[in-house]
Order: sequence, then structure tokens, then C-alpha cells
Amino acid sequence: MRQLAAALALALAGSIVNASGPPASSGSNVPDVETRSSGLQLVPMPRTAQLYATNCQGCHGEFGSSAAEIPTLAGRVGYFTRIPEGRRYLVQVPNVALNTNSDADIAAVLNWLLATYSRAQLPADFKPYTASEVGELRRARIDVAVSRRRVIDALVAAGQIPSADVLALPHVVLY
Amino acid sequence: MKPISSGRFDGLIESLSRGAAQRTSRRGFLSQCGLWLVAASSLPLLPVARRAQAGEQPAAKPSRKFASEFANHAQTNDPTRCNYWRYCASDGYLCACCGGGPHTCPPGTSPSPTSWIGSCINPDDGKTYLIAYRDCCGQDSCGRCACLGQEGDMPSYRPQVNNDIVWCFGASSMVYHCSSAGLVGLAE
Repeated sequence: MRQLAAALALALAGSIVNASGPPASSGSNVPDVETRSSGLQLVPMPRTAQLYATNCQGCHGEFGSSAAEIPTLAGRVGYFTRIPEGRRYLVQVPNVALNTNSDADIAAVLNWLLATYSRAQLPADFKPYTASEVGELRRARIDVAVSRRRVIDALVAAGQIPSADVLALPHVVLY
Repeated sequence: MKPISSGRFDGLIESLSRGAAQRTSRRGFLSQCGLWLVAASSLPLLPVARRAQAGEQPAAKPSRKFASEFANHAQTNDPTRCNYWRYCASDGYLCACCGGGPHTCPPGTSPSPTSWIGSCINPDDGKTYLIAYRDCCGQDSCGRCACLGQEGDMPSYRPQVNNDIVWCFGASSMVYHCSSAGLVGLAE
């Protein structure tokens, strides 16, 4: 039962979910020692979800939140797009700027994760990132901690968030 | 020749051994041995049909139908072996050999909330699946079934896609025990 629950939880990331009952229309059973008998059916993940899974999800989590050390995306990341320097910051954080994927893929996954995990925090006039904008912005190398503090102060000053606590990172005592 | 043995059994043995001594020579024995040796060793060289053996060859020599060399040698049934298909980018001790399963941690350890996500080809359906390599943390190294898969792994000058580091971030302990491989989804 625990294994089945775990398999289902993991499977949720993609798309699925038919551990019993009739096969999904376009799904296929995973030919594997654990899933042949459980009848787990998978349908292909959308490309952007797949980009998120292979580039971000390991740390930021399947639902946009994870360990305390990792900044939470869910319900937060959209705030950054409310001011130009915040919009830049999201492309310039090292693992986005140095990502091995193309500018177009990075723009696609940024737009996807903003809409998926933080739609309510996006400004009403939010314009999706474009490949050329990402290509231009990601050339910069920033000091993440300093930039983040500046962006958050600017968000507070612009009245976009009530206080810096909204985007504060928890204090984690590391080992 | 008159037997020198007196007993009936002794006489029988004597006549047999004398007979053998009269009929055979040491040279003859050696030449017979040599003949058999040469015959036995040259028999397989004869142009015999070897269909039966040929039938086994595809299994012993995997086909090269996938771009991934790992997938060409992979199997889907035994998670305690390093060629289990989900381990194409696993770097560490297999939890399946350490009291856990391919995606479950052994008792006394806890799964890290963070993982390294790669993708592997399932050799049975040829599809690509996303796999989360999640370290189990909190006990000393398991030490069984060391397995190093390198699909999609890059040297540490590309840290985003390097799988060598201990991935226990966020776990209650940074002490590494073993690596699990959970199914995340089916790639496009």
C-alpha cells in the first residue's frame, strides 16, 4: 500500500493516474517489475512540465515547495514580476542564467512555473518572458543574496508587497 | 603360461592382468591416447552446423537499437542489479540492496526532500521516463551494490547536471546511506 501510494505520488508530477480500472485513452503501462502488476498508466508529460521536472523540480519540488533551504515558488515567485528589477532577477539567478537549455526553453519554463505555481501573484498586465528577453538578461552575473534583498526592498517601496516578510527565506541552521 | 596364484580369485585377476600385458603395449597405449586427444580437440573444428548455438547469441550480445548504451544492456525485472533500467544515472549504493526498494528507503533512513532528476529509456517499450534519484540519508554508507550510471551526467564544471554530490539537502541528516530511483513521469 505504501509503495502504491509512493508510486502514485511520484506519478502525479506528470500526468497520470490510473493505478486500477480501465486504461487511460492514450496511456500505456510502464513495463517494469513494480508497475506491470499495479497496472500504472502514464501519459506523456507536457514539454514545459518536463522542462520544469528535469531542471527545477529536484530542488523546488513537484508542487513548488520543498526543503526550508530551497526558496518556495508556490504562492510567491509571481511577486517578483511586478517590478522590472524583479523580472530581471528571476532570469539572473544562477541556475536559470547558467541553465544548459535554450533561451526559448528557459522562457517557456519560467512562464509555465509562474502560471502554475503563482498565478495569483502575477500583475494584471503580466507579459510572458520571450526568448530574446531571456537571452539578453541571462548574460548578467549577479550576487544572488544582494540582488534579492534589493528587489524585495524595491517591491516594498513600490507597495507591491506589504512587507519584506512576504518573500523572506526561513533562517536555516545548516548542519 | 601356468598361473602362479593358488586361489581362484587371485587366479582370475592374474590371468586378466597377464592377458592385458600380452595384448597391449605402452607405446600402443600412448598412441591410442594421442589419437583420442587429437580427435577430441579437432572435432569442434569440423564444419558442423551450429544452429543451436547461434540461437542463443542475440541474448548474450544485446542489440544496439537505442542511442543509450545503458539502455541496450538494461533489464526491467531486478532492481538489485546495476543494469536495472532506472539506474541509468544513479550514482551510489542501490537502496534495493540495502533493505529498501528501488524507490523506498531502508528502515532507519529518510528520503531527502530534494532529488536529482534524469531520464532513462525503458528497454521493453523504448520510451523515455523521468527518474528522480533520491538519496536516503541518516545512516552510514550502505556499501552494497555500488552503481555508477552516467546518462546525462556532466562533470562538476556543470554542477546543475552533475550527479556526484551527496543529495541530502533538506534531510534531517547529511549522512548518505544509499540512492533510490523513483518514477516521475513519461517524457514526451
